[in-house]
Amino acid sequence: MAQRLALQRLLSLPTRGPLASHRRAFGTSAGRRSTFNVQDGSDFQDRVVNSPKPVVVDFHAQWCGPCKILGPRLEKLVAKLEGKVLMAKVDIDDHTDLAIEYEVSAVPTVLAMKNGDVVDKFVGIKDEDQLEAFLKKLIGA
Amino acid sequence: GKNEYDLLVIGGGSGGLACAKEAAQFGRKVAVLDYVEPSPQGTAWGLGGTCVNVGCIPKKLMHQAALLGSALKDAQHYGWNISQPVHHTWSVMAQGVQNYVKSLNWGHRVQLQEKKVKYFNIKGSFSDPHTVRGLTKAGKETVVTADNIVIATGGRPKYPMHVAGALEYGITSDDLFWLKESPGKTLTPFVLNVSLECAGFLTGIGLDTTVMMRSVPLRGKICFTIQQQMASLVTEHMESYGTKFLKRCFPTKVEKLKSNRLQVTWKNADLNTEETDSFNTVMWAVGRAPDTKTLNLETIGVKTNSETGKIIVDASEATSVPHIYAIGDITEGRPELTPTAIAAGKLLAQRLFGQSSELMDYDNVPTTVFTPLEYGCVGLSEEAAVQRHGSDNIEVYHAYYKPLEFTVAERDVTQCYMKMVCLREREQRILGLHFIGPNAGEVIQGFALGIKCGATYPQMMKTVGIHPTCAEEVTKLHITKRSGLDATVTGC
Repeated sequence: MAQRLALQRLLSLPTRGPLASHRRAFGTSAGRRSTFNVQDGSDFQDRVVNSPKPVVVDFHAQWCGPCKILGPRLEKLVAKLEGKVLMAKVDIDDHTDLAIEYEVSAVPTVLAMKNGDVVDKFVGIKDEDQLEAFLKKLIGA
Repeated sequence: GKNEYDLLVIGGGSGGLACAKEAAQFGRKVAVLDYVEPSPQGTAWGLGGTCVNVGCIPKKLMHQAALLGSALKDAQHYGWNISQPVHHTWSVMAQGVQNYVKSLNWGHRVQLQEKKVKYFNIKGSFSDPHTVRGLTKAGKETVVTADNIVIATGGRPKYPMHVAGALEYGITSDDLFWLKESPGKTLTPFVLNVSLECAGFLTGIGLDTTVMMRSVPLRGKICFTIQQQMASLVTEHMESYGTKFLKRCFPTKVEKLKSNRLQVTWKNADLNTEETDSFNTVMWAVGRAPDTKTLNLETIGVKTNSETGKIIVDASEATSVPHIYAIGDITEGRPELTPTAIAAGKLLAQRLFGQSSELMDYDNVPTTVFTPLEYGCVGLSEEAAVQRHGSDNIEVYHAYYKPLEFTVAERDVTQCYMKMVCLREREQRILGLHFIGPNAGEVIQGFALGIKCGATYPQMMKTVGIHPTCAEEVTKLHITKRSGLDATVTGC
């Protein structure tokens, strides 16, 4: 009984704290807005290069197994940051020239971009702790 | 010079990419044009050419899928508990294969970038001997000029234009590997390496498959065997494993039914009748045509063979225009193989920019047909050897052998066969080696080195075999066709 009451109270908590952001990760408006698929070169220019907020760019491919693990993992952590960082997804088969321009050779390649410049980068899969540190550095720096 | 590039390569396939990357190693300014005109059915693909996208790679992977199916059947005999019948899902295989091919497209793109080769995704045509212009997919015109130009545009499958409905309703190998859904019940006219290989793996994954052939391959007539002896054995094996063969038939029309199936009508030359049946897919295998139509070769004077349309080249891959070269499937008289195109491309680049004078050696090129029971060979066929030296001057050693792995699995070994064609005179140099069996490509590769080095029959007999393998039987060949003795050999 006490447990049920405690749970009810938990669920009626205002939108702050660890539970709140966890709920937000599951497709709330903030989560959806913070990740987007790049449509073309000019879209990349507008929403990534010219973005007022720092952007994490995830270069991925349909045929890349590790990408399918890294993508959602990164998306979840970006969503937790409630809009402080945006995430742009680039399918390298659809946007080959863009990927080549940014010197992507293996996938997944993730770039951290701020004010149009690449300030950080990693290639391959990373665990949550490493990704959190990567994102923290991007917002902090 | 006044031209923008030292080398322009038209065609980003096996030959073209190899040539471009090699030239770039010498610090030259190199550009590659690649463009894939969609097939009549609308199939297109990325950088890498026929081999990567619609040839060797997807074919071998699907062949492997079929072999795994056979292995699953064999597994029971070896103690595995696998419920039969085992089912195959085309879309899972296709996605795996297509994803791998896409990763290769990307890999090639990255390689060009790393080697500083400029890449244009445009369909180029000559406007003068040093200038190629083309349109991007978006319609923007690009002009490229170069001191040297290499044409490596390869070929595309032909359609039998005299058969009504062939173009509208049929597909070719260009489309087969990119199908998202199973091709279902398939008919493939006629008998070429590609149709046998495709019919082979389609049967292997459980599809109702029929090969139509215009003439019957000679069977068992050992006295005047040709490469046809090997072809017969391969097709016999396919037949015993479930591929249907319509012999001495040729199609007259293809119509689409309301059910979306295809109704094919053909003439049976033996019975002088007209027959018909419905299929889900008709895949044409009537040969490949060189991709030269839009290049505009006539205006710049590059000569082509009037019959085949292929570009005529000399031993240095030069065309009739001095600074224009051609390599790969597009060239007349050359094998339609990836390794020869790659080697020719590299040597050409070395001659142009690396002070080399080494020409490509097209002799004794080994190759393999990846039918369910594979056929690998290197050197002369028996027929070619007879033609060149006379039947009295050659000795053919042969054997019907039994792969050990087939024994417990109770597999039919009737067509597991090999033969070695040698000169009869003193040295007894080996002219050709032919092998039908599992892993034929792996077996033949090493022997190709031996033949290149001029290996002789006595040397082969001194070579100790690895036991137990199929390849060791090559080192033990001793029964001649001339003797007329039974060529069946036992392992131990």
